[in-house]
Amino acid sequence: MTATAGPERPTATEPLRVAIIGNPNTGKTTLFNALTGLRQRVGNFAGVTVERVEGAFRMPDGRRVAVLDLPGSYSLSAGSPDERIALEVLLDRDGQHWRPHVVLVVVDACHLERNLFLASQVCELGLPVVIALNQFDMAAEQGITIDVPELIHAIGVPVVPTVASRGEGIEPLKKALFTAAELPPPARRFTLPPEIEASLAPLVTHLERGGLARGPAEMEALRLLGVRRGEKHLAHIPDLARELDAARDAIRAVGHTPEREESEARYGWIGEVMQRTVRRRAAGTETTSDRVDAVVLHRLGGPLVFLAIMALVFQAVFSWAAPMQDAIEAVIHWLGALVAAPLPEGDLKSLVVDGVFAGVGSVLVFLPQIAILFAFIGVLEQSGYMARAAFLMDRVMRRVGLHGKSFIPMLSGYACAVPGIMATRTIDDQQERLATIMVVPLMSCSARLPVYTLLIATFVPALPLLPGLDLQGATMLAMYLLGTVAALAVAALFRKTLLRGPVRPMLLELPAYRWPSPQSLWVSVWQRCLLFLRRAGTVILALSIVLWALATYPKTAVDPSLPVEAQHEQQLAHSALGGFGHAIEPAVRPLGYDWKIGVSIVASFAAREVFVSTMGTIYGVGAEDDAALQDRLRRETRADGAPAYTPLVAVGLMVFYVFALMCMSTIAVTIREAGGGRLGWKWAGIQFAYMLALAYGAAWLTVTAGRALGFA
Amino acid sequence: MTAPNSRELPVCTCPLVDSETGSAATVVAIECGESEACRLRALGLYEGAQVSVVGKRHCLLVDVSGTRLALGADLAEGITVRPQGRIAS
Repeated sequence: MTATAGPERPTATEPLRVAIIGNPNTGKTTLFNALTGLRQRVGNFAGVTVERVEGAFRMPDGRRVAVLDLPGSYSLSAGSPDERIALEVLLDRDGQHWRPHVVLVVVDACHLERNLFLASQVCELGLPVVIALNQFDMAAEQGITIDVPELIHAIGVPVVPTVASRGEGIEPLKKALFTAAELPPPARRFTLPPEIEASLAPLVTHLERGGLARGPAEMEALRLLGVRRGEKHLAHIPDLARELDAARDAIRAVGHTPEREESEARYGWIGEVMQRTVRRRAAGTETTSDRVDAVVLHRLGGPLVFLAIMALVFQAVFSWAAPMQDAIEAVIHWLGALVAAPLPEGDLKSLVVDGVFAGVGSVLVFLPQIAILFAFIGVLEQSGYMARAAFLMDRVMRRVGLHGKSFIPMLSGYACAVPGIMATRTIDDQQERLATIMVVPLMSCSARLPVYTLLIATFVPALPLLPGLDLQGATMLAMYLLGTVAALAVAALFRKTLLRGPVRPMLLELPAYRWPSPQSLWVSVWQRCLLFLRRAGTVILALSIVLWALATYPKTAVDPSLPVEAQHEQQLAHSALGGFGHAIEPAVRPLGYDWKIGVSIVASFAAREVFVSTMGTIYGVGAEDDAALQDRLRRETRADGAPAYTPLVAVGLMVFYVFALMCMSTIAVTIREAGGGRLGWKWAGIQFAYMLALAYGAAWLTVTAGRALGFA
Repeated sequence: MTAPNSRELPVCTCPLVDSETGSAATVVAIECGESEACRLRALGLYEGAQVSVVGKRHCLLVDVSGTRLALGADLAEGITVRPQGRIAS
């Protein structure tokens, strides 16, 4: 353990390790993106779902710098998993041995007072510190003048004014990082009242014996007064709880309140620093943000603005992506044909076209939706609107045990569960986040649309109900509502059982509005797409090939005199997938299905819309000819001559698809986002199982109740 | 941090929820879950800080040294303040 040693210097061969920390909404990530550009690697901190983003850049003289973007934190008080991680990394207790050479604290020049709280904690860790005084331009606009040399003098670390969104101050900042690495680390700049100092002395000594250097020991002693949980990074120190209680008692004995000491001491010092360094134009004037909020948070106007923005996001993900998706599919199809053309007819050709290229296509086809959704989320987050949306939705979501921030992922689920689940990263609380992931796939996604469309068009008559709404439209609407209501109900259920826990009280900063930075937006969209391709994409591709093999083998002798589609049907019926369809026929019979629907359901595990093309194949009409398939389905009879499909069976089938998790992409993303590894598989398993049970139960109930009511 | 002459006046405190919209107040005590208390203090809402309620909905909108915070009513219930606007009236 190197924690007792002084700050490390980078050796000649290794890069300078810089950890970036800062309050949320300080432009920390924008600054990180401005420093590193696209050279970023996204992963998770060991054992938790907190995202770990590491980037790199090179100085003009060739020196390398590795940058770790620590999660946004208001303090090192470890109130959230994010803050805990930040503290562990800075103390080199996160088990990854990534001890920073320099800590870069990003400070919002407009809210210097609050931001200096975290900065003052970091300055006591015994590591060289550089402060980036970000959003320097906005501070000037608000009439805030900061005396930078005086601030450097007061805090005792280099301070560089920056405007990360415009790339200003980045070069001086890079140089300052190297300069700081050579400077002695800063130390505490204030003294505690003597009686507090004395009360804490035994605890500080105890922490030092536990392996902490003097500075961090003093920082921890003061910080721990306000914290009551056992903390992992200090778990190796014996009898810490006893020492801590003794210190608290001693402080109470001299008439102080232990929990208040840290904030009183730090803010007391910060107040002095502010007096020396900051000049403010007459305060009390209404800011632009206040004027925007007057509309955006208005009792009536607020929800209207919110609905309008959500409608725009939904529409964009739903329809703007469609032409791009069509184009991607066309290109993949064309490439597949091009590659396959010289190949002889047979399994290899089929593997290339139906396995590999179809698999690649089913991965890439999600990219437009992911890119569009994350571009919108980026704009909403960077502009400051996301906090307002969470504020507005909090009331509704709280009733089912979720946070206001769960709303956006769930709404995205209407377009596609994959980006929706990825969007749950904005939710701080782990239990709330998992509960949201669990229910996002219940929102009817765009891949269910072809299934609904086929079945409704075939079996539900267009009886007019209201002006502008017929029975077909109403059925479609009912399917969407069913999924939504179920999602809210299941979320509430999860929060009362497996993911129990209090909903954290509403405590949210509403940051000042600002224009998003295009560069930072581009980096984050690019990162999301890459992450999806690397992690989920590989699983989807592998599963596509497995499904292709199951549908192709074992081979059977087909009658070459039959039309091609009929040959396909014969082959499929005798394949492993067909065998599976026959095997599960007894299970699906209570729902009114035969083996053909069974096969289609199993095959649609690749993606729901495959249901339609598989039905097309089985009935030998091809996937492209919707009218022929509809006609064929209406005429299909069972062995006893009764029609195989009735409107009731069709509605039951739709209900099945509302609930069933027939989508391996979603499963792959859930595995990753629920924590990866065994934990990820566990939650993905729970998700798949409960949704299948719900689907089966609801479909059975629909068919049984329908029959009891006299529908066929 | 306290208002001038506050010693001569009867000390009148109330939960933040009941504080008047638009008038300044000094935080006297914070009683809530430990991690929330930590978070509030880090956000600049500590004992002795100046705050003012700028709006009341299902949550409170509070100004804390230039930052807007949305606080759940349950949380605002546990924050005791000494209103400053009342001294004059």
